[in-house]
Amino acid sequence: MNNYFVRRILQIIPVLFIISFIVFTLVFVAGDPVSLMLPDDAPPEAREELRETMGLNEPFVVQYITYMGNMLQGDFGESYRFNQPALDIVLDRLPATMELAIFAIVIATAVAIPLGIWSATKQNTSLDLIATGAAVIGKAMPNFWLGIMLILLFSVTLGMFPVSGRGTAMHVILPAVTLATGIAAEMTRLIRSSMLDSLSQDYVRTARSKGLKDRIVVYKHAFRNSLIPVVTITFLQTSTLVGGTLITETVFAWPGLGQLLIQAVNTRDMAIVQASVFIIAILVILMNLIADILYRFLDPRIKYN
Amino acid sequence: MSHESQAVVNDISKDELVENRPSSLKRWMRLLWRSKTGTVGLIIVVIALLVAIFAPLIAPYQPQEINPVNMLKPPFWMENGSMENILGTDNLGRDIFSRILYGSQISILVGVMSVVVAGFIGVTVGLVSGYFGGIIDNILMRLVDSFLAIPTILFALVILAIFDSGVFTLIIVLGVTNWVNYARLVRGEVLTLKERDYVKAAHSIGVSNFKIIVRHLLPNVISSFIVISTLSVATTIILEASLSFLGLGVQPPTVSWGSILSDGRDYLSTSWWLATFPGIAITITVLGIIFLGDWLRDVLDPRTQK
Amino acid sequence: MKKKRIYFFLMVMTLVLILAACGSTDDAGDSGTEESGAEEGEGTAGEGTAEGNNNVLTIALGTDMVSFDVHNHTNTSTEAVHINMFNYLVKRDPESGEYVSDLAESFEAIDDTTWEFKLKEGVKFHNGEALDSEDVKYSLERPANDDTTLEHINYEVIEKIEVIDDLTFQIHTATPDPALLNRIARMGSAILPSQYIEENGFDHFLSEPVGTGPFQFNEWVKDDRIVLDVYEDYFEGVNEEWEQVVFRVIPENSTRVSELLTGGVDLAVNMPPSEWDRIENNEGTHMAQETSNRTMMLFVRHTEGWPTADKKVREALDLAIDNNAISENLLSGRAVPTITRVAPGNFGFNEELYDTYNYDLERARELLEEAGYGDGLDITLHSPRGRYLQDAEIAEMVAGMWSQIGVNATVEFMEWSSFVDMRNAGENKDVYLLALGNSMFDAANALDWYDYERFEGQIDYQNEEFESLVEAAEQNMDLEEREQQYIEAQEILAEDVAHPVLHQESINIGVSDFVNYTPTIDEMIYVETITKSE
Repeated sequence: MNNYFVRRILQIIPVLFIISFIVFTLVFVAGDPVSLMLPDDAPPEAREELRETMGLNEPFVVQYITYMGNMLQGDFGESYRFNQPALDIVLDRLPATMELAIFAIVIATAVAIPLGIWSATKQNTSLDLIATGAAVIGKAMPNFWLGIMLILLFSVTLGMFPVSGRGTAMHVILPAVTLATGIAAEMTRLIRSSMLDSLSQDYVRTARSKGLKDRIVVYKHAFRNSLIPVVTITFLQTSTLVGGTLITETVFAWPGLGQLLIQAVNTRDMAIVQASVFIIAILVILMNLIADILYRFLDPRIKYN
Repeated sequence: MSHESQAVVNDISKDELVENRPSSLKRWMRLLWRSKTGTVGLIIVVIALLVAIFAPLIAPYQPQEINPVNMLKPPFWMENGSMENILGTDNLGRDIFSRILYGSQISILVGVMSVVVAGFIGVTVGLVSGYFGGIIDNILMRLVDSFLAIPTILFALVILAIFDSGVFTLIIVLGVTNWVNYARLVRGEVLTLKERDYVKAAHSIGVSNFKIIVRHLLPNVISSFIVISTLSVATTIILEASLSFLGLGVQPPTVSWGSILSDGRDYLSTSWWLATFPGIAITITVLGIIFLGDWLRDVLDPRTQK
Repeated sequence: MKKKRIYFFLMVMTLVLILAACGSTDDAGDSGTEESGAEEGEGTAGEGTAEGNNNVLTIALGTDMVSFDVHNHTNTSTEAVHINMFNYLVKRDPESGEYVSDLAESFEAIDDTTWEFKLKEGVKFHNGEALDSEDVKYSLERPANDDTTLEHINYEVIEKIEVIDDLTFQIHTATPDPALLNRIARMGSAILPSQYIEENGFDHFLSEPVGTGPFQFNEWVKDDRIVLDVYEDYFEGVNEEWEQVVFRVIPENSTRVSELLTGGVDLAVNMPPSEWDRIENNEGTHMAQETSNRTMMLFVRHTEGWPTADKKVREALDLAIDNNAISENLLSGRAVPTITRVAPGNFGFNEELYDTYNYDLERARELLEEAGYGDGLDITLHSPRGRYLQDAEIAEMVAGMWSQIGVNATVEFMEWSSFVDMRNAGENKDVYLLALGNSMFDAANALDWYDYERFEGQIDYQNEEFESLVEAAEQNMDLEEREQQYIEAQEILAEDVAHPVLHQESINIGVSDFVNYTPTIDEMIYVETITKSE
């Protein structure tokens, strides 16, 4: 078992290398921010000079080696927009995004578990149709649209929540709900199918035939078993979740990583883009690792090869 | 020989589906009818496809045709609305109904084609990786892990900001950023398949690797591929809309549902019809595709067979 | 066994959640401290916006400010924030258009290339440092000498600042500069504390900026908010109205509007035209509008070989555009159609060419026929999207209008940085759309966009008569003659239809009824002019 995890962790190293390469190549192709850093009509010589000082004229390989060398020392370069080390800025913004993501997961779980169980026990009835339909609609609505509608309804018309920004607990609810819908839908569907799976297992049938109450069968036996995939999927949703914050944070002016990234891409602040893609990647990899460990820990049937 | 051995792999109902050609359509229909959601899904998808194909025939106007004297007209059932523009007009006087019809073409095209691109890359990588194993598998899987660690929308955002986004770029970008799921799935299946006797037998009598992959492995992973690619079309349509919101989707005069929706968002509170109808179009279509995909999974996946 | 595992799992989950939650709040606190040096600052700001603290003014911006490097940005909305923290030597009076005293008590031209200034006494920077001539020398020589600063091009005419005594100094220009006052009352003219910067370094200044203005820096959370506190020792007297100003960054239009409507912010910039009526009709909010010094125009290519090199084609394109329809339909009548880029209030304004436009479809078709494009002309129109008020819609509408005379225009929208790249590389096609401001309020700055050398390979417009006029005017200290030269120069441009000009834009700010605010043509937000209405 230990061997397995040691190997899993060692595998992260080449992955990070590949990611750094992909990101670097993209940034290299993206060309230089020089035209945005200089006035509209700066003479070509000035452009050339700035390029030279920024090391943008070096060949690809040289630039990559310099970049990797700096990165290994935790230096992702300086954001030209903010005149600050890119990594500091990204780490500054991470907590806001984490807060949003955690609230979203809590909301998603709170909705998905009952909805999933309910629709599984009523499989193929109209109730099931409504429940799965509701879940799917959550997944089928573009997030920005949902976000704007929620603002119009709950903030403007009903005045229940603040419109945007980060601050009190009330501020987090609308963006978290927006972010949660997609994941909640995914989780509901997963819980439903894994519940169906466990409900058809022999021991559940046995329990039923022994005359145990339906409710006990459902909650004690079936649900408990279907929890395993739910747990792992929660962690595996990290990537989707972080992706979703790009949209949600823009709509709700939430000062997190997502908004920072969009601005960075628009202004070609590539140091920020590199640093945040990298941090996000590490986060996702860690969560996937945790998912893996939990999965193996919870389900003794899986062998560690 | 391969037919027989394949039949061993497949479970009985699927075997029936594939082998008993004459009755298979009827059986499909029966299976479909049993699932309410599947039926609904199929109907929606068929309608969406028909709309996309026949958009030029149905649409009363050209989607980019502006009309300054006819701006922000509401749908026909409202005051000031008329049958000329049944779903109203937008801020440039363009007919929303026509735009949605034409938009379906691009949305569905981007959704389907990018899944084809992603599927092609993913299935190839998965087959190769799973079949050959060893160092190749190791390298490819690390590549998969890397792509997996970067959220698709983020990946697409960075690439599209660099290359100006036309429909073609969009398809390629969404394909290239989305293939990992297929690779992982296919690899997993191949790992089990290659332990089967018939594959081993083929190998021992000297059938070439390429032939084994194409003849014996590929057909067996197709059904799982279809299931997840169907669902993937749905997510891609949503993704395209999100990219439009970020200003990186298809650019005018090309219209997609995503671009109409995102152009209309400034009007949600004053002229709600600009963003509401494309929103509904997306939601219903995606809903249909997911229903259909779920049903396909239930039917094609031997594990969920009763 | 199994039971235990599940309990264990649930524990782990809870732990992770708790840790993450704690971690996030801790970190938030930390980052706040790091940036502002006072955690309370963040608290009050939050309370102010959420609970409507009476003495906190909240303003919603569409984009974040760029930097506190006052010499190194060309961004109007950044300057709109800076203006509350820093002062210039002189300022433009929005009413009269005259340049009046700000930090300088008096100023006079000694000869064609020398101006003498005397500073007001007792002006103190936010850190207590007293303002003296050395500060002016540092602040104006930096953009003048450092050619990597974005404002360099507008300051390079300044040769040096000669310090006479603590409060007196002279500005020497390399050549006679009739527009010197305009030049030093705009972006890049803010006077910085030289001693503070010398002692702590410029990077420290950027994170803890210090100026002389009515408000002082509290914190800047990037892409979220800029918080300024009132400065007690402001030389014109402390602002009684506001204890704190919060500029919030809200990129999404509809969110910004919603914040205004729900009272989350007191002022919101760049309201989209579709919402003007709603804001006006909503109880508790209204629109404050003013024409801006920004003109939207179509830059065409004069390079040989392009159809638009032919004056007939340019004129046809111009005649086919119904500027009034654009204004009425897309901008609720708020745009002023014009033929010249120089707007009223600018030196050298040509009244004849303002608030008018040429529109004649018949004539346009004829001209196109004469130019040899009777059976149609295919051109490309490049446009940014979402950068200027209704830019994409206007581009599409213009293309629609052109189709009426048989010009088939393909509209291509470009993301801003690609758009800039394309122009710099000279890869622009027939026409592109831009809206240009002019913070100098001088025709020289506006007409520089018609300079041949400046846009060689990109525009290639050349007219010798125009060039000799502009060249003469540039250093002409006889202001009356200079004005006449610019007026004539604009006539030449109009005659040539060098670039079809569309309209002068408007500034559109949504305002809560709790405050009084009148926008000014320069697009700045002078918090000092904002008052409570009760």
